[in-house]
Amino acid sequence: MPAIYKVSYVVSGEDHPGAILNSETSPQQGDVISLGSSDFEVIEVIDLIPPRGDFHYLHATLVRTSEKA
Amino acid sequence: MDHTEILGSVELFEGITPAELQAISGICKEITFKNGDVITQQDETGEDLYIVLDGFVEVLHSGTAPEQSPRTIVHLGKGQIFGEMALVDHGPRSATVRAASAPTKLLMIHCNDFEQECEENHHLGYIVMRNIAADLSFKLRHRHFADR
Repeated sequence: MPAIYKVSYVVSGEDHPGAILNSETSPQQGDVISLGSSDFEVIEVIDLIPPRGDFHYLHATLVRTSEKA
Repeated sequence: MDHTEILGSVELFEGITPAELQAISGICKEITFKNGDVITQQDETGEDLYIVLDGFVEVLHSGTAPEQSPRTIVHLGKGQIFGEMALVDHGPRSATVRAASAPTKLLMIHCNDFEQECEENHHLGYIVMRNIAADLSFKLRHRHFADR
């Protein structure tokens, strides 16, 4: 089975609860992702805990795309 | 409907055998919600565990003060589970969960069916309980980052 990335997304600089979801690819700095009706840019990705089986556990920090510009 | 393949990509079942996945698939029911539909209600009794197949759910928690409005604490997307605390401690729902996408597709497993599978197969029971603990730990770590 291909790797599965379980990602904790946290939005920096605002009172946004963030999200947890599985992805088939690892997020990268500069990626733009959509949470609800808003777009966010990934500014940091770190390994949260060691991988287990096919699962990789990541934390990604986001900023709203309009703030980045 | 056979959900074996999709269950294999859910962390809750990481480490169980294909035969065990097949048994779990047999007790799953697929359900679809519209955006905004309430799936579980805080403080009510709950007897089902849910897996997000497609879309997002919004997890909301109300404080003890009556005037305090519910606060969204996290969004859960593909592959995530909720309702697992009812399986672990048989307590009331700790949060309200509502669909946050159209459609939101879930798998639902009744806790009694799940516990029966775990009782009959201790390997399955050990792996699933370990994975539930790991998932609760991951959610706590997410909260720690979100509260920074």
